[in-house]
Amino acid sequence: MTRSWLRPAVALLVGAVFFVPLYLVLTNVFKQGDLIAKDPASLPLPPTLANIHAVLTRPDGLFWVSLANSVVVTVLSILVLTVLSAMLGHYLARSGKRWTKVLTLVLLAGLMIPPQVILIPITDVLRVTHLMATLQGLILFNVGYYVPFGVFVFTGFIRGVPVELEEAALLDGASRMQVFWRVVFPLLRPATASVLIFLGVWIWNDFIDPLIILGPSQGTTITTGIYRSIGQYQADLGSVFALMFLATLPVLIFYLALQKQFVKGLTGGATKG
Amino acid sequence: MGEGGLTQLAAVVASPAPPRTRRSPARGRRRKPILPRVAHFASFGAPGVLVYLCFVLAPILISFGYSLTNYNPFNPPVKFVGLENYRLLFTDEQFLIALKVTTILTVIVVVVPNVLGLGVALLLDRKGWLYNALRSVFFTPVILSSVVVSIVWSRLLDDRGPLNDLLRALGIEHPPGWLSDPDVALYSVASIVCWQMLGFCVVVYLAGLQGVPAELLEAAEIDGAGPLRRFRAVTWPLLAPSLTINTVVLLISAFKTYDYVKVITNGGPGSGATATIAFDVLQTGFDSNHVGYASAMAVLMLVIVAVVTTVVLNFLRRREVDL
Repeated sequence: MTRSWLRPAVALLVGAVFFVPLYLVLTNVFKQGDLIAKDPASLPLPPTLANIHAVLTRPDGLFWVSLANSVVVTVLSILVLTVLSAMLGHYLARSGKRWTKVLTLVLLAGLMIPPQVILIPITDVLRVTHLMATLQGLILFNVGYYVPFGVFVFTGFIRGVPVELEEAALLDGASRMQVFWRVVFPLLRPATASVLIFLGVWIWNDFIDPLIILGPSQGTTITTGIYRSIGQYQADLGSVFALMFLATLPVLIFYLALQKQFVKGLTGGATKG
Repeated sequence: MGEGGLTQLAAVVASPAPPRTRRSPARGRRRKPILPRVAHFASFGAPGVLVYLCFVLAPILISFGYSLTNYNPFNPPVKFVGLENYRLLFTDEQFLIALKVTTILTVIVVVVPNVLGLGVALLLDRKGWLYNALRSVFFTPVILSSVVVSIVWSRLLDDRGPLNDLLRALGIEHPPGWLSDPDVALYSVASIVCWQMLGFCVVVYLAGLQGVPAELLEAAEIDGAGPLRRFRAVTWPLLAPSLTINTVVLLISAFKTYDYVKVITNGGPGSGATATIAFDVLQTGFDSNHVGYASAMAVLMLVIVAVVTTVVLNFLRRREVDL
């Protein structure tokens, strides 16, 4: 009585409709430029690598410069964020004082602050410190803005790690730093993975902050590079699609490689009890 | 993901939290001398707190300070104007439109991915390669940059784009100007945000569905409950935490929608048909240089986000307990 074909058929249909925009990117990356405007939905026959080649060999090196900037900003931001928020999270989780509880709340409130609320004064702060329009400025901003997320993940996790291990190591005469890096930090791997994955993707895809902090002339990240290129090559859609494809590739590979951890980090709290 | 995809609170509500262990009873009672405690905070706590202070807390205070002035870097001198900027906001046609645009967008983006996401999750809640593959399809937009999503969709919805070509081929002579008609554009932008956020809701609901014990559903079936009844009485209450996560995340990210507006419509078409508050803040602050006025807008935005999020979160949390 159960119509066993119904569910897969409906699922496939819904999935196909949902997939259309993704298909549009994939097909146009490998299609000749003039065909994209004329017939955007057709299959790329014959397929061509000309668009990708054009982006990779642009004389101004837009792709490579943007890629380098994005890699530097993302990698340095998430490394600093992991170190700072793991230590801060540990401090907050292990201290039962009232003022540290207040501090934790103040930090967590940062999770819902829209960047637009702080970006105008941020540019003034960065200008005063001569960090405006520099990668260092953007990295520092990222660290400040995302520290609440790191602290949230690490504090929650560290509360579940037995404190006796640390106390034993401290009694044995190890310093706090040694205890943290040799004993505690290795136990935090699931939390560290969550922080690295989420912040990595967010910072890689971030648009508004690099747009404003790096400014119009001082280099681009991958996302602001794409944004600028739509103005420049209105006519050359092939390059825009190829640039989007190449910009997404690293995240996509990252995601496919770590798919399990992705979903786990996302849904750890979604089940009751 | 940044603004468009997951907000921070996303994974926040959901981050791995192992069960609490008992603190050793000796803690807290012994008082250590002050110097080592200061050194402990200075080495572990201070660096993170300091960056947060400089790049989040101080800017909020500066914003508030600016909002009480007529500050415009190209039009000195700066004068203290008290709450004048806030008073002006409530009579400013453009701001009231932005408030309306933001509200409509937020309601759509909170409701639609939640409802469709639940539907898709129920559809995909089976084992097998087909369902695994489809899960990945639905999740892929979540990890895309909102800029990429915006560009692709603007091609798709262009007046002479594939969608309207299809509609014309089906005999509709004047298909809607999805992004060029001021009455339609906001709904098109909202749909694009929904498309990107859908996969997030699907994955969260799927995880919730995995937590529904099969025995409960079987027991309900034996008691004679039909599929609808089983969903309402067993599945839906157990999905309460998933609903909380999705709603809060969608709420926070929808409220600060900026990337899509900037890339797809730049606030248009017409006068601000898709200009959200987040968009207006930066437009007023950086393009028109009315920093004082923009700061008042930003502060008001922060207050609205904080109040609405707190109220909604509390409501949903209480609901979780009641169920």
